[in-house]
Amino acid sequence: MKAGWLSTLRHSLTLRITLMFVALVALAAAGLGTYLYRAFVAEIERRDDIQLLGKLRQVQILLGRPGAADLLRTRPDFFRDTMSGQENSLVRFVAPDGRVLADINAAGESYPIPPSAGAAPERGVIVSWTSRHGDPGRVVAGSASLDAGRLTVVVARVYGERSAMFARYRSRIAAAAGVSALLAALLAALLLRRGLRPLRTIAGHAALVRPGTLAQRLDLDAAPSELRPLVDALNAMLARLQDGYARLSGFSADLAHEFRTPVTNLLGQSQVMLAQPRGVAEYEQLIASNVEELERLARMIESMLFLARASQDEVALARQPLGALDELDKMAGFYEGMAEERGLRLAYSGSGTVLADPALLRRALANLLSNAVRHAAEGSTITLRAEQRGTVTELSVINDGAPIAAAHLAHLFERFYRADPARRDAEGSTGLGLSIVRAIMDLHGGTAQVRSENGQTRFTLVFPAA
Amino acid sequence: MPILVIEDEPKIGDYLQRGLTESGFAVRLARNGRDGLAMALEDEIELVVLDVMLPRMDGWQVLAALRARPETEQIPVLFLTARDDVQDRVRGLELGADDYLVKPFAFVELVARIRTLLRRGPPREEDLIQVGDMEIDVIRRRVRRGATAIVLTAQEFGLLHLLARRQGQVLSRSLIASQVWDMNFDSDTNVIDAAVRRLRRKIDDPFEQKLIHTRRGMGYVCEAQSAAP
Repeated sequence: MKAGWLSTLRHSLTLRITLMFVALVALAAAGLGTYLYRAFVAEIERRDDIQLLGKLRQVQILLGRPGAADLLRTRPDFFRDTMSGQENSLVRFVAPDGRVLADINAAGESYPIPPSAGAAPERGVIVSWTSRHGDPGRVVAGSASLDAGRLTVVVARVYGERSAMFARYRSRIAAAAGVSALLAALLAALLLRRGLRPLRTIAGHAALVRPGTLAQRLDLDAAPSELRPLVDALNAMLARLQDGYARLSGFSADLAHEFRTPVTNLLGQSQVMLAQPRGVAEYEQLIASNVEELERLARMIESMLFLARASQDEVALARQPLGALDELDKMAGFYEGMAEERGLRLAYSGSGTVLADPALLRRALANLLSNAVRHAAEGSTITLRAEQRGTVTELSVINDGAPIAAAHLAHLFERFYRADPARRDAEGSTGLGLSIVRAIMDLHGGTAQVRSENGQTRFTLVFPAA
Repeated sequence: MPILVIEDEPKIGDYLQRGLTESGFAVRLARNGRDGLAMALEDEIELVVLDVMLPRMDGWQVLAALRARPETEQIPVLFLTARDDVQDRVRGLELGADDYLVKPFAFVELVARIRTLLRRGPPREEDLIQVGDMEIDVIRRRVRRGATAIVLTAQEFGLLHLLARRQGQVLSRSLIASQVWDMNFDSDTNVIDAAVRRLRRKIDDPFEQKLIHTRRGMGYVCEAQSAAP
């Protein structure tokens, strides 16, 4: 159950795209936020540093004033106040001999004393430190002159409120990134649902396809261009299914019809015979006649099964190289008697090798020869010919006789197709002979062809090269 | 020794028993696999005709059980199957069956197969075959009836040789096609009929006593007396 649910999630296109989209938006928001935050922090720090340097400058100027030395001695607070009341400002005056002249440091912070950077220090010499409460601090030392003497002025600051501001800013950026990712997820899901609507429409239409409605097609115009190949492919599949289905149901109908004739004969003649007591000879006659009908049925069943297996490629082919002329010689020998009886001559010629299953090759040739003997003009010659043409070997059965109309030629290899419906039951023919020929050639990767012109009908089996 | 037929389909079982009995075999009939196996183990059996689709114990199991025991492993088994797929056939032969027939089959075909299986070893080919007043010299390929020499084509001789070699036996058309012309499929029966007619014109038509007889619905038989089947 759980696995099924997981796999549904894994296979949901909407979910996958949404997640990817969310990840993308979150990444972009986080990146942008980080960048802005960094820029903001750098800017604030720069501003604070410039302010710190400004303070130093202010102290330096104050010290340059007359009476500054006294002031420093008597009212050091004055200097701190100069820092415009910023409690966090720390100032220390150090004499050249290292004596601390004054130290304004209410909080009692201890901070490093960097070496003096001269009269006009740059930003680069400012040193970072950390206050007792863990807040960041900055300190800079510069030189000043006091009553013709020199001393070092150290100015430091603690930026407690700044850290808090940065923290707030960070969390705001994180929140903004989160919210935008969430919004993106919602939007993406909504858009995808809308965007995939044509797919659901197609699925809905496809779900309505039934054996009886195979003629319907999916609406190509309603599909977005990306889905057209899919719709095209589905429609082509429907067309093939429709064709196959039509042939199959036609075939079943034909089959039932073909079975009807022998069964009618069996039933009818048996019932008529049973209606009255009859002599032994009559019963024998009946049974023998029944056997003939039954043999025909058995042959049809065998042929049907062969065709069914062949169409599913379940016939095992035992291919071997066979001398074409040998095979024609065998066939001619087999049909010798039947041809002679009908006043026909059999001639064969040619050369070449075919790679084929001997039993199936003979079966195909026998079916063609049975037809030829049946339809050849009396007194004519049936010609068997083997020809090597490039990479293929062709075996032909040619007979003189009434031509087959072009309209029939295309259908001759179809099951139960008969050019002349009146010959339906002629001579025990099952109506499957030529479709078996075609199935055999399909199995061999070859083709069966027919031509009928100038009073001559020619069936050709084309075998591909070894 | 009797032939054992194991077949559950009542009509098929009945006609097999009757037909084989009339063909000169002693027949025992079992209606399911378990009874069949028991009979095969109890009695001396010469050959088993085994249907594959059986209740209680299917044909494959019976076959495997027969082959597993020393006293029955040599008994020839001919199996009958309604499924004409290669797998089924291969399976049967792999399990040790000697031959098979696909339903529906011609009864004469079954009799011919049984006779072949019972002949044990390759049949001894006779050099000189006599049917009535007909004499066939197999080596010189010469045929004469009484004082009259008869000239046959190669095809005609092959057909006559087969019929005479198995004189008294009804040969089905498909067996004839397979043995004489190597056509191993259900071919156009008219071809065989025409070939037999052609042979008869030379062998029988000029003579009072007919040697080749038609058994309607079954095939052809060559014998001196035209006894009813």
